[in-house]
Amino acid sequence: MLVMGEVRTGLLQNSGEIPESLCQGVLGLLSGERVRISRRPIVYAVSPDQLTGVDCRLASAARARVRGVGTVLSRASVTGGRVLQGSSHIQVARAEADHRLSWSHYLARPGVVEVFGKMRVPDLADGFADSGAWNDCLDLGSVSERFMDAVQASPLLDRKAPFRSARTRLRWVAVAEEPGREGPGIRFTLGRDRVRTLRLVLPDGFTPDVVDFCEDLALHDWLLTTLLVIVERARVGTATRAEVTAKLAPAVDHLLHLWMPAARLDDGFAPLWEALERRPGFSRQWQSLVARVRDQIAINTLALLREAGGW
Amino acid sequence: MTPAYATFGEVEAERRVASAPLSHVSIELGHLYMEDFQAGPERLREQFRHVAPWAETMRASWRARVPGGRARVSTCFLIDDYFSRFSTPSELVPMVLEAAAECDLTIDYLARESACAEADGVKLARLVEDRLVTDPPPGTDGSRPPVTETGWLCNGARSPYGGAVQVAMGSAQGWEPPAQNAKRRHSIFVDVELWDSDSRGRTWSCPFLAAVWQLLRLGMIRNDGELPVRPTPRGPSFPASWDELPAVVQLNPAAAPFSAYTTMSVLSPRFLPVELAVRTILSQVFVDAAVLRQVADRSGGEGIPLPDELVDRISYIFLGA
Repeated sequence: MLVMGEVRTGLLQNSGEIPESLCQGVLGLLSGERVRISRRPIVYAVSPDQLTGVDCRLASAARARVRGVGTVLSRASVTGGRVLQGSSHIQVARAEADHRLSWSHYLARPGVVEVFGKMRVPDLADGFADSGAWNDCLDLGSVSERFMDAVQASPLLDRKAPFRSARTRLRWVAVAEEPGREGPGIRFTLGRDRVRTLRLVLPDGFTPDVVDFCEDLALHDWLLTTLLVIVERARVGTATRAEVTAKLAPAVDHLLHLWMPAARLDDGFAPLWEALERRPGFSRQWQSLVARVRDQIAINTLALLREAGGW
Repeated sequence: MTPAYATFGEVEAERRVASAPLSHVSIELGHLYMEDFQAGPERLREQFRHVAPWAETMRASWRARVPGGRARVSTCFLIDDYFSRFSTPSELVPMVLEAAAECDLTIDYLARESACAEADGVKLARLVEDRLVTDPPPGTDGSRPPVTETGWLCNGARSPYGGAVQVAMGSAQGWEPPAQNAKRRHSIFVDVELWDSDSRGRTWSCPFLAAVWQLLRLGMIRNDGELPVRPTPRGPSFPASWDELPAVVQLNPAAAPFSAYTTMSVLSPRFLPVELAVRTILSQVFVDAAVLRQVADRSGGEGIPLPDELVDRISYIFLGA
């Protein structure tokens, strides 16, 4: 088993969070298909699945020429009316034929890319995880990005983001646990240029929940990354209290309430999140940042009260 | 390998997809264009005479295949009211029914071609167009949007632009052939016009509407999870205008369901290029996975496995005069 995907995460280009009622218009990328919305514990709206055809090289760590043909399964989602994600993935399977078949063969297997010849899972997994700068190889990130762009281009959005932020990329690879190899586990790596890689070894094989998990992780990694940048830009200790508070305010308005790791995930993924909470300790860092933001605002409030009341 | 059907886990609970009643086979007894109509009722009778034994063969073969011989077979007939308007339902439909009856054929359902473009306010052709996933030429790695020519769909890579012009201007680069993606050494390149437009709007091409027609007969189209077209029982008489005729009329109250696991069409060989175009289109339509699964479960439950690929559920008989 080999599944790989890439999730891109960014701020929805709108001044405020969008209400649930706009989600259908913004994410309705396919006519005749409804956007699906779940409301608890946070509003989450997801577009219908989209397919993109590919016929290209797959990155191989050994630089072998591996050709894959099939379809990429993608979707766009909005969490809390505020954070936009584009997510694409494929399951890699060995082709039974030694030549390309009629396109209807591949369309009958949505989200599967078939490779010709021998399929060496570790080689392709390593290749994809490291393939950032490789040309001519399968580029799931660009596919995800295009669906995000399609959403951002919606006339229903005012394109006035309340603060500047960058998109993050999470590239993930999931393989099945095999006897004599690495046990079930998770490896998360922060790379340069806001690229993160996630390697999963799964005891029970692939289920669609894996994609949910990767998107959830990407969402929280983006929240943390974005909050860090906001706090950094606030220049606490250097700028005046009023300036610091003004810079921190968007975090309070738009981000702090969105932190809900593993909110919608299958219980089977709880151990993976728990592992990430131990190291690197996502929620620990988040809580510490949130406390810092609130303390700064509290101090400023006290200062203002003192000025006004003269205590 | 199991494809990622249920990607939507938690929210899937909100997604309801209506299921269509299904026959084993839907037989298209004919397709009437203005030129056939102008040729008079004898042309129609001749067509039905040709078709009758083949329809019976199909029926018999399904009877042999289904336990207890309880094959569900429905027949349909399509009238073109999209590319040209001729006659009226009240005049034409009885004539068609009479000609069929003379050849011992029962037409269960009658459909209007314009219903394939839009039926009951649902733009079916648009729904299908949105579901096209283009056949990618080698080298398509996802980094750029799929190369498309607006309003056209092909099964490979087109010739590069401007070959002849470049030759005329002394450039070394001459003509280069187009290539079929799934070629076996040599290409059969097909490029299909899906629609054109003028001041009155978009006109869908005959193969595109025929592709929608096949999808309807295979019970594969949904709009917001609902069936967009449900056959309407015939009234005591037929209306005087095509617009008043329902998209699909059920003529025979005892008919098996309109949609079916498979389709069969008896056609004149002059429709061969149209059907090649239809198959080129259908090979690139991404049908709702939930609908495919529904149909596969139902047919599997009856012990009738269906091919995965839609185009393999469609068969034809091309009959010369």
